[in-house]
Amino acid sequence: MPWYLYLALKQLFPTGRRFPFFTAISVLGVTLGVALLVVVMSVMGGFGYEIRRMITDTQGEVQVRGDGQVLVEQPEELRAAIAAIPGVAGVTPNAVGVGLLKFENKSAFPQIQGIDVRHIESVANLNRFILKPDTLDDLDDDSVILSSQLAVALGARRGDKIEFYSLLMIEKLQESETMLPRELRVAGFFVVGHQQLDGNTALVTLRRMQDLYGLGHSVHGFNVRLAPGEDAATAAARITAALPPAAGVQAYPWTDSFSDFLWVLQLEKNMIFFLLLFIVIVAAFSVTSSLLISVVRKTREIGLLGALGGRPRQVAACFCTQGLLIGGCGTVCGLGLGFVLLWLRNDIVLGLARLFGHQDVMRQFYMVTQLPSHTSGLDVAKIVIFTLVISTLAGLLPAWRAARLKPVEALRHE
Amino acid sequence: MSEHVLAATGLRKTYLSGDRRIEVLRGVDLAVAAGESVAIRGESGSGKSTLLNLLSGLDAPDIGSLRWAGRTPAADTRARFLGMVFQSFYLIPELDALANVLMAARILGVPGAAGRARAVELLAKVGLAGRATHLPTQLSGGERQRVAIARALMNSPRLILADEPTGNLDEATGDNVIALLLGLCAETQTALVLVTHNAAHAAKTSRQLFLHDGVLK
Ligand SMILES: Nc1ncnc2c1ncn2[C@@H]1O[C@H](COP(=O)(O)OP(=O)(O)O)[C@@H](O)[C@H]1O
Ligand SMILES: [Mg+2]
Repeated sequence: MPWYLYLALKQLFPTGRRFPFFTAISVLGVTLGVALLVVVMSVMGGFGYEIRRMITDTQGEVQVRGDGQVLVEQPEELRAAIAAIPGVAGVTPNAVGVGLLKFENKSAFPQIQGIDVRHIESVANLNRFILKPDTLDDLDDDSVILSSQLAVALGARRGDKIEFYSLLMIEKLQESETMLPRELRVAGFFVVGHQQLDGNTALVTLRRMQDLYGLGHSVHGFNVRLAPGEDAATAAARITAALPPAAGVQAYPWTDSFSDFLWVLQLEKNMIFFLLLFIVIVAAFSVTSSLLISVVRKTREIGLLGALGGRPRQVAACFCTQGLLIGGCGTVCGLGLGFVLLWLRNDIVLGLARLFGHQDVMRQFYMVTQLPSHTSGLDVAKIVIFTLVISTLAGLLPAWRAARLKPVEALRHE
Repeated sequence: MSEHVLAATGLRKTYLSGDRRIEVLRGVDLAVAAGESVAIRGESGSGKSTLLNLLSGLDAPDIGSLRWAGRTPAADTRARFLGMVFQSFYLIPELDALANVLMAARILGVPGAAGRARAVELLAKVGLAGRATHLPTQLSGGERQRVAIARALMNSPRLILADEPTGNLDEATGDNVIALLLGLCAETQTALVLVTHNAAHAAKTSRQLFLHDGVLK
C-alpha cells in the first residue's frame, strides 16, 4: 500500500485508540444521508411499482384500439385473432364512457367501464379488488359495481337501486323524448388503491354498456394480458404488425397511455433524489471542515512528510483518500441502515401510529397498512456513485491546502 | 573535496519581513567529512535553523553552493542521503513507535521484511525494544526523541542534521539522547551536524563551531 493510503487509513482509524471520534461523526453524517436516500427512493419506488402493477393488473399491458373514436365492429373475430398472437396470454373487449348516476338526492358523473365477464378474468383478476363477500359473479346486466369512494359519495349500499343516465339518453332528453332512467342494482364495491380509479369509476357488463350507449355489437377496444416476461412495447409492435390493416386498430403499450403519469412519477422521484442529495452535500461540508481542521492541526507532520521525501501530490492524495474513505464507510453504513429501516418499515409505521393513537385513521385514509418498497439497483448505484464523488470532492480543498504547504514553513509552524 | 559528505560555500540567506531585510546568513562555509560530527552553537535567532534548512535542501540559499557527497542536492535524493532530528520530535501521532520509524522507508517504497527487521533493530538500538507498539502519547519526551533518531537512521543516511534535539528535554534525558545519537552515528559512520545550546553536548563532538553575525567560525 502506498504510504499516503496507509497514512489516510491510520489517520481515520488510529491504532490502539478505542473509537475514532472525529471519523465517526463525519461518517455518521454521510450514513444518515445515504440511509434516508435509500429509504425514500425505495418507498417512492414502491408506490410507483404498486401503481404500475395496479394499472397493468386492471388494464393489461397492451391496449388495442382504433384511432380516434373508431369502433371495432366485429369484436369476436378480432379478439380471437389477437388471442392467437404469440406472447398474448389473454384478451378482453372493453367499452368506456361517462354517465350520470343518481341515488336519492345525490348524483355523480363517473367513468363507466363495460367489462366482458366471459373474458375479463383472462386479463385482470378484478376479484382481488372487489370487497368481500361480493365477487365479479354478482355482476349481471342489471347491476353495477361501484368504486369505494364513489359509493361513499352517493351514499349507496349493496342492493340499493341507483338511477343511471347515459349520454345517449341525455341527448334524447334534449330532443324532448321522454326517457326513463335505467335502474341498476349495486352489486359490490371495489378498491384498487389508486385515487383516480377509486374516486370515480363504475363497472357494468359490456352488454349493458353497448345497450346504454347504442354501440350495437361494437366495442371500443381490447385489453391484452401478455405472457410473463414479455416487454409491453415490443409485444405491442408485434400485435400491431400481426393485425389485419383492414381492422383499423393499433396496439399501444400501457406505458403510452400513461406516459404523462409515468413522467410525473419519474420527475417526482428525481426531484426528491436531488433534494435529499443535499443532505449528503451538507455532510460533505462537515467532512471538508473536519479535514481542514486536521490539516491545520497536522501542519508540522505534513512538513515532516515533505522532509521525508513525500511529494505534494501524494500529500494531497492522503487527504482526498480520507474524504473518499469517509464517504465509502458512510455509504456502506448508510446502505445497511437504510435496508434495516426498510425491512422494519411496517413495524415503524405501526409503532408510530400506535404511539399517537391514529392507527385506524391511517388505515381509513391511506387504505394502506403496508408501506410499499421497491429498491431499484439503478437508484442504489446512483446513490453510491454520487456519495463517493461528493465525499472525494469534499477532501479536495483540504488536500489542496495540505499540498501547498512548504516543508520549511510547515515545520516552523507553531 | 569529494571525501566530504557535505560541502557548503558562501551560503547567504536574507529574509524580507515587511520592508525590513534580515540578513541571517552572510556567507557560511562548512565542510563535513564522512563520519565526522560537528556542533553548531549560536544565540537564539542567529540563524542556526535557517542554516540547517539550507543544508537539508528544504530551503534554497539566495546565493552560495551546496554539495551532498559531491553532488548537487535534489529533493528526491534527500531522504536517502540525510536524516533529520528536530527539537519537537514531529512523530506522527496516529502511528506507533515502529510504524513511525518505518514511515521513513515507506515514503520511498513499500517496506519489505528486511525493512521491518531493520526498524525493529533500530528501536532496540535506541533502547525501545519493548515499546514498538506504543503510540507517541504513551512515550516520554526522551523516548519520543529516541524514536525520531531511529527514524532518522532508518534509510541508512550518510548525514544526520539535528536541530536542538535536546531543547525540549530535561538535562539528564538530554545527556542520554546526545550520547545515544553520537554513539549511533559513530557506530554507523554517519556524519552529524548537531545544533545545540549546550556546551557540554557540543564538547562531545569532533568539532565545535559558532554561528555569529551570519558567519560560521
Ligand atoms: N520565514 C522567515 N521569514 C522572516 N524571518 C525569518 C524567517 N525564518 C527565520 N526568520 C528570522 O531569521 C532569524 C533566524 O532564525 P532561525 O534560523 O530560526 O534562528 P535560530 O534557529 O538560530 O534560533 C530570526 O531572526 C528569525 O526571525
Ligand atoms: Mg532554531
